[in-house]
Amino acid sequence: MASQEGWKRREPGPVVRPYAVTGGRTEPADGEVLDLIAVVVTTSRSTGAGSEPARRTPEHRKIINLAHQPTTVADIASDTGLPVGVVRVLLADLIMLGAVKVVRQRPAREMPSDDLLREILNGLRAL
Amino acid sequence: MDSARSSAGQPGLTPHKLLIAGGFAVGKTTMVAAISEVRPLLTEEKLTTASVGHDDLRGVPGKTTTTVALDYGRITFASELVLYLFGVPGQERFWFMWDELAYGALGAVVLADVRRLDDSFPSVNYFETRGLPFVIALNCFDGAPRYEPDEVRDALDLDPAVPVVLCDARERGSVKQVLITLIEHVAAQRARAAVVAAPAGR
Repeated sequence: MASQEGWKRREPGPVVRPYAVTGGRTEPADGEVLDLIAVVVTTSRSTGAGSEPARRTPEHRKIINLAHQPTTVADIASDTGLPVGVVRVLLADLIMLGAVKVVRQRPAREMPSDDLLREILNGLRAL
Repeated sequence: MDSARSSAGQPGLTPHKLLIAGGFAVGKTTMVAAISEVRPLLTEEKLTTASVGHDDLRGVPGKTTTTVALDYGRITFASELVLYLFGVPGQERFWFMWDELAYGALGAVVLADVRRLDDSFPSVNYFETRGLPFVIALNCFDGAPRYEPDEVRDALDLDPAVPVVLCDARERGSVKQVLITLIEHVAAQRARAAVVAAPAGR
């Protein structure tokens, strides 16, 4: 299977199975699946007294640091090297603790606006 | 948790996504890399029955998840408008990922190799069924026989409105033109839908 597309040989990385960092949990604690380009940001409560720092793992803290600027789920997964499913579980923990909030869950279901399309077209033409 | 999940109309980073689909080794990652910084993404997915027969599970009976590597690219236009390009693995065994990748996408490029046009059938079928606007980009590999876009349109039995363009997935300018064609097509589809949706009263 090693030669098939999508299965790439990668550096061994940390010798921890992916869901070990979530304590074996594979579903977000609040049951909500964040979109790949959902935008999250760290809140002021992430460093507050009531934010239960003891319950956080190094991976939680890594995510808090990455999300000081609004950041997408995909970028957090890419920057941490953690699988998307793991990032979703950890983000749900942080959201329930109030340490991270979702500023944009999903792109709109409805058609994109003319203004948006024009802005993208202008951007592409200027590349 | 409603308050934590609310979007509250807050301005800021507004990401949008486009999909780059197509068959095995047709040049999807090359296309993404030609126009954006490619970033690796790991998805840890449950093995489904679709994998049976592909993945040798002998000796690992407890293995129910597997790591799938995707590549994606980002194009940042202004400080807050960012276009994400996700390569969509074309084989049927990865279809479980398509709905998630397609949700909320603006549109898709189906990258096709004229020598293996049937590899693009699943992508075309999927986007037609979802009603997601797409364009066909024929990757002109060196030495590949040239076909006219109209021949390809007939072979794929495409709606006449779907653009079919030639491209070189390695060339930034060529890929840029494909994406421009796609966004123009999305805008045209939007205008068409608005006409259809408008009341017929006069």
